[in-house]
Formats: sequence, structure tokens, C-alpha cells
Amino acid sequence: MSRYILQRLFGLIGVLFGVSIVLFLALHLAPGDPAQLLLGPLVRPDDLARLRQELGLDRPLPVQYVTWLGQVLQGDLGRSIASHRPVLVEIVERFQATALLAGASLLISAVVGITVGVLAAINRGGWIDRASMVLALVSMSTPSFWLGMVFIIVFSLVLGVLPGSGMISPRGDGGVLDVLAHLVLPALTLAAVPTAVISRLTRSSMLEVIGLDYVRTARGKGLSERRLVVRHVVPNALIGVATLVGIEAGYLLAGAVLVETVFAWPGLGSLLVTSILKRDFPIVQGGVMLIAVSYVLINLVTDLAYAYLDPRIRYD
Amino acid sequence: MTKQRILGMVWVLAAAALLVLASCTQLSGQGKKGGTFVLGLVAEPTSLDPAQLTDINSMRILSSVYDTLVRFDEGGFELKPALATKWTVSSDGLTYTFELRKNVKFHDGTPFNAAAVKFNFDRMLDPKHEFASTGPFPFAGFYYGSVKETKVTDDSTVQIILKTPYSPLLNSLTLNQGRIVSPDAVKKYGKDYGQHPVGTGPFKLVEWQHGVRVVVERNNDYWDGAPLLDKIVFRPIPDEQTRFTELKSGNADAIVDVPPDNVAQVKSDNRYQYIEQPGPHIWWATFNLDKKPFSDLKVRQAVMYATNRDAISRDILKGTGTTANGPIPPSIKWAYTDDVTKYPYDPNKAKQLLADAGYPNGFSAVFWVPESGSGMQSPKSMATAIQGDLAKVGIKLDIKTFEWGAYLTKYNAGFGTEADMGAMSFMLDPGDPAPYLGLVADSAAAAPNGFNAGGYKSAKVDQLLRQAVATTDQAQRGKIYQQVEQEMAKDLPWLFVDNQIQNAAITTKVHNLKLHPSFYIFFDKIWID
Repeated sequence: MSRYILQRLFGLIGVLFGVSIVLFLALHLAPGDPAQLLLGPLVRPDDLARLRQELGLDRPLPVQYVTWLGQVLQGDLGRSIASHRPVLVEIVERFQATALLAGASLLISAVVGITVGVLAAINRGGWIDRASMVLALVSMSTPSFWLGMVFIIVFSLVLGVLPGSGMISPRGDGGVLDVLAHLVLPALTLAAVPTAVISRLTRSSMLEVIGLDYVRTARGKGLSERRLVVRHVVPNALIGVATLVGIEAGYLLAGAVLVETVFAWPGLGSLLVTSILKRDFPIVQGGVMLIAVSYVLINLVTDLAYAYLDPRIRYD
Repeated sequence: MTKQRILGMVWVLAAAALLVLASCTQLSGQGKKGGTFVLGLVAEPTSLDPAQLTDINSMRILSSVYDTLVRFDEGGFELKPALATKWTVSSDGLTYTFELRKNVKFHDGTPFNAAAVKFNFDRMLDPKHEFASTGPFPFAGFYYGSVKETKVTDDSTVQIILKTPYSPLLNSLTLNQGRIVSPDAVKKYGKDYGQHPVGTGPFKLVEWQHGVRVVVERNNDYWDGAPLLDKIVFRPIPDEQTRFTELKSGNADAIVDVPPDNVAQVKSDNRYQYIEQPGPHIWWATFNLDKKPFSDLKVRQAVMYATNRDAISRDILKGTGTTANGPIPPSIKWAYTDDVTKYPYDPNKAKQLLADAGYPNGFSAVFWVPESGSGMQSPKSMATAIQGDLAKVGIKLDIKTFEWGAYLTKYNAGFGTEADMGAMSFMLDPGDPAPYLGLVADSAAAAPNGFNAGGYKSAKVDQLLRQAVATTDQAQRGKIYQQVEQEMAKDLPWLFVDNQIQNAAITTKVHNLKLHPSFYIFFDKIWID
């Protein structure tokens, strides 16, 4: 087991290396110059040249890459071109907000999605089943930015019960309850799609398991329906769902961008979008690497969860 | 007591009550002390080191923390004393002497003096300065490139000595690059100074939660009288619809840049004040003068007549812009004239001109447009409107859009033979046309040597522009720029489209929030019910 984990972590290095090269090329080969964007439309050519030199953008690409890599290996992700703050400080700060949002959404979607999926499967064809599947279809097809706006209008503007933007109230002290209140709407918005996906998959894999021979045998043996579902069907049906939850976790980390923008949530996604528009290369490189690392780690945790959920799976 | 006496006493009491009331009103006329004011901005500042800033959004809030040597009056571009109480310019236009305000302290308690001013300019302009590494300072060369040295004469007198006469210097000192920072704070924080701003301004920074809020509180020792507000909270709300709903839900007391589509709603709602202020902004489309068909003046005139520019301001910008008639925005009153050749909407005249130029059936042309961008307003809708207008006279515009970053690189390289027109805009925040016209209209700045992407060359305009920079008297300079405007309105190197009107929506409990024509905001006189 520990050897397996080590192997996977070793593989992470390769993944990061690949990501860094692709990212570096994509950023630098795309049109647009950070110095030009900083200075705006009207700038004297010599001012532009001087700033490019100060930012090290005048050097050949391979030199820039190797310099950057060398710094990263020493734990220095550089400084933002726009704000001059250390990249590590900036992305970790924003990552915390994103992780909070994504974590809350994941919790909501896993709990609600699995519960609804299980209920729908054991009441197959009943009203819970039909209603939940229609709802799932609707929430999967609803664009998150639209849903977010509707939530803001309904809960923040009309009813006035929940804040619709930011992470703390502008006049408040930013305590835990304040943050939680601000978390509700964006977390629900972000959770809409994964909840639907998880509930549908839970339902179908439940139905698959319910149809298996061993379930029929167990039922024939006289097990109560409740005990049958809880002890024998759900654990087996959840193996597939666990993978999906893992994938969704990665999706939530990387995909919170739109929701963060609509709710002015100070997360990594919104930072990356503005940094891409400004061609703030160090931030984009650092931020995407951080997302890559967390994606790989989440997948690793998911794989390890298999072994726990399904004793047939062993990593030796 | 007789009835008359009672009546008399009632009168006296009534008069006394009135007096008390009157004095109360007078009190509220000066404003109420206290309260927190929340302002919704389009983004958070990139840094709070004024010398590093390049974007208008960040620059807008810095007047709360910092002062400049000279500043504009509240409503226009007239220079007033600030940290300098008096200044003189030598007759050769090379030496600017400033007498500094005494007994002013930075927020960290260190004194503001001539040495501090010298430190500020040296840090930006001398690459060998001990704290030059706290940069880069992208705009320092652009605005203060003519400075040879800064000299301390005595503790409260400082001289700025120029290499060549550069009359826009005083106006340039009102810019963010001219905001005076505490040398001690720069020495203490080094490269991180931008996170720990220390100035002499009416407010001092208490908290900056990135992506969440910037909070400043009253500086009770402010030299120009302590401000009334306890605190200002600046909130970054990038999505324009969210910004608007935050105003409505009371989580912002005011927002800037109300989207054109929401303007009518704000205006009709009596919970808000809607304020406007013409900014020093211009939106135009550059013609490629190096190739046919726009090398022909008649064709350019035809485009001016064929474009219904009033309709663009009215219908697309919903009144957040006014039709431009030349390269200088009307808000820069001292350099502006309305007395230029005008091209009112007249498609028939346009068709006639096209026929005269040898294009009776029109032609096709490529029009470069950015998808968005600082000061570009609604570029795609505006370009589409121009396309529709020109189609009516037979000109088929092929609009090519680019993301802003890619667009700047492309535009800056010049049109070559790839494009016939390209959209551009600029904000002249120093309230002086000099820095910008030198870059877009001078033949020496023709691409790739500058931002004159269409290759406009006029010996007369070149000569006027250079003469204006070397003239110190503002009235005289104004006359020269008026001639430049007249020349360019005749030559038509650009399709002049509009001058943006900046706006803000404010809840009625906020008083004295004014937008300045320079795009900056003064915060010290604001108060709240």
C-alpha cells in the first residue's frame, strides 16, 4: 500500500512537469504581452521595451522557462506581474476560499445526491423517483451563472434573507457565521450540477445491484428490506459513485470560476481568469500547478477509498 | 396674563425654535461626522503603491490615502495647492520650485518634507536608486521623463529641474505617479510596500483582504481638515449585474460604472442619486492612411457622414457618451474648441463623396475591434452599429474581433495591409492632451515607433504639437491644441465616435460624492446620514 502511494506521488512529478511545459507554451505562444497590458494602449516603445526587460520577458522562451523552473524547485513561485505580491501567498490565500466553496458544494452534492439517488432507486417508478430525475435533468441543464443570478434575485434582493455577494459583509467583522451565510448561495449554485450527476449515477448503480443474484438470494433468505438496502446494496452501489465524487471534486476546484465571478467570491478561479486576461504569467502558472497537484491528490485519495469500500481491490 | 402676552410668548418661542432648526440645518449643510461608506468598484486595486499603478480602477481610490504636490480643483482641471503651497516656473521653463506645506506628517508619524519629495522622484526615475528595486514604475518615464533631477533647497523647498521644457509637468504631478509616499515605509517594507501604503492623505489603510475589501479609516490629523467619514470600504465586484444588485440590496452605498442598460432603472428610482461627469475620454476608429481606400480624404469624409454617431451615444451607450468631433475631449476645457469641421449624419452626402472618390458601388474593408478593454465601452455593439450604417452607403465592413491583450499587441504593431480601420480609446487623466497626442498623432510615432497605427502624417500638426509642449503658458497652449483639433477634424485620420460620460449610482443617504473629470474621486468631503 505505502509503496503504491509512493509510486503515485512519484508519478505526480511527471504530471507536474508535463503540465508546466504545456502551460508555459500555451501562455507564451498566445498573442498578448503582459508589459503592453500593464501599460495600456498608449505607450512609448522605449518604455515598453524597458518594462519588458525589467520583467524578463525579452529573454528567449527556453531561458525564461528554465529560470522559472529553477526558482520553483527552490520553492519560489516568483511575484505577480500585476500586484508584485509573491505568487505563493496570493494563490494560497485564494485557494483557501475556493477550497471552502468547493468543499461545501461537494458535501452538499454527495449527501443530497446519494440520498436522493438511493431513495429514487428503492422507489423505482414512484413519484420520488420521477420528481427527482426531472429535477436532476433540469439542474444539469441550467447554466450556473444563470442559477446564481436567480438565487441572488430571489434570496438576496426579494426575500433579503441571504447575502448575494462577497465572502464577508462589507461592514461586518468577517466572523464564522458571516462567512457561512455568504457561503450558502454560491455553494448551492455550484452544487447543482454535481448533485444531479451523483444522484443519477447512484440511482442507476443501485438498480444494477438490486437486480443482482445475491440480492435476490438475500431477500429470499428473509432479510428485511431496510437491512438489505443498507448493508448489501448501498455499499456495493457506492463504489462507482466514489469515483464520480472524486472526479467532481476536481471539477469543483477547477470549475468554480463562473460561480466565483457571479458571487464576487475571492477564489482562485476568479483570480486565474483576471490573471489570464492580464497575462500575469507567474500567477497563472502557479495557480494551475496548484490545481493540478490537488487534482492528482484527490484522484489518489479516491483510488485509496476503493480499497476501503471494496475489499476485493488491493494495491500491492 | 393677557391673551396678547401669551400670543407674544408663542411668537418668541416659535422664533427661537426656528433659530434652533436653522442652526441644525446649517450643521447638516457642513455634513455629519461618522459612518462607514461602502463603494463598489469594478475590480480590486492591483497595488497601493501609486508609482507602480497603471490602471484607472486602482488609481481611483488612491486619493483617499495619498496627496500630490498640486491637485485639481473640485470641478475641473485648474491647479490648486496641495502638499505644495506655492510654486514658480523659471522663465526658461526648466526649473520648477515648490514651497512645501509645513507640519504635515505621514500616517506613520514621519515628517513630510523636501527630502521625502526628492526620495519619491528619485525612486521612480533613477534606476540606480537604492529603492528603485521596489518598482517597476511603468509610467514614470512617460510622464516625468523630462526630469533631470530633484533638488532639496531647504527643508520645505524643493526644485524639479528639467532637461528640456515640458509644460505638461504640473498637470502630470496630479497623477498617481505624483502621489507622495512615506520614504520610511518604502524602506521598511521594500518590495511589499504596495501592500502597506503610507501617505499623508485624509484616510489611512487599516485592512486589505484580497478580493474581498480594502478598508481605510479617518486620518484625524489631516492637514486639510479631518474628513467626516469614519471609514470607507472599497469592494471589488467584477460582474456588473452583481454590482448593481449589491447596491439594491444595500451592501454597497454607491457603485461606479453603472452598466448602460441599468441607467434608466437607477434614474427612475428615488432611492438613488444618479450622477454623471464627462471624463477626459475619447473613443475612435483609426483609418489606415497608408493604403486605399482610406488614403483618400473623400472616403474618410464619407465614413464620417455615413456613421450615425448620435445614435450610437443615444441607443447603444444609453446616454453614457456624447458624440466626439475631434481628438480632444470637451472636458479639457482649456484645450478644447467646438469650432471644428463637423460631419452630421447624412448618408446621401456620403454616397456622393464615395462616387466622387471613384467608389460609386462602395467597397469592402477590414475593421479590427477588441472584445472589451479599458475605456472601450461596448466595442462590439458600437462596431456593429458602424458596420450597419456603412452598409447603407455600400461599404461592407468585415469586423475582426480580438481579446484585449491580443488586440493591443496587434494594434501596436500597426495595420500594415491587414486592416483598414481599428477601434481605440484613451483616457487623458492628466487633463492635458500632450502626452497622448504626441503618441497617436505625431508622425514620429507612426507604427511601429509609436501608437500612430494608421500612419497619420501632417507637418502642421507635428509642428503644433512640439510647439505646445515647449510653451509654458496654459492659455497659449490651449490655443495651439485648438488648432490641432481643427486640423485633425479636417484631415480625419480617425472616425471620431464618442466621449464617455462616467457615472455612479449612490443611495440618497450619501452626500457630496462627486466624480471628477480626471476620473479620480475625492473622498474627504463625503458624508453619510
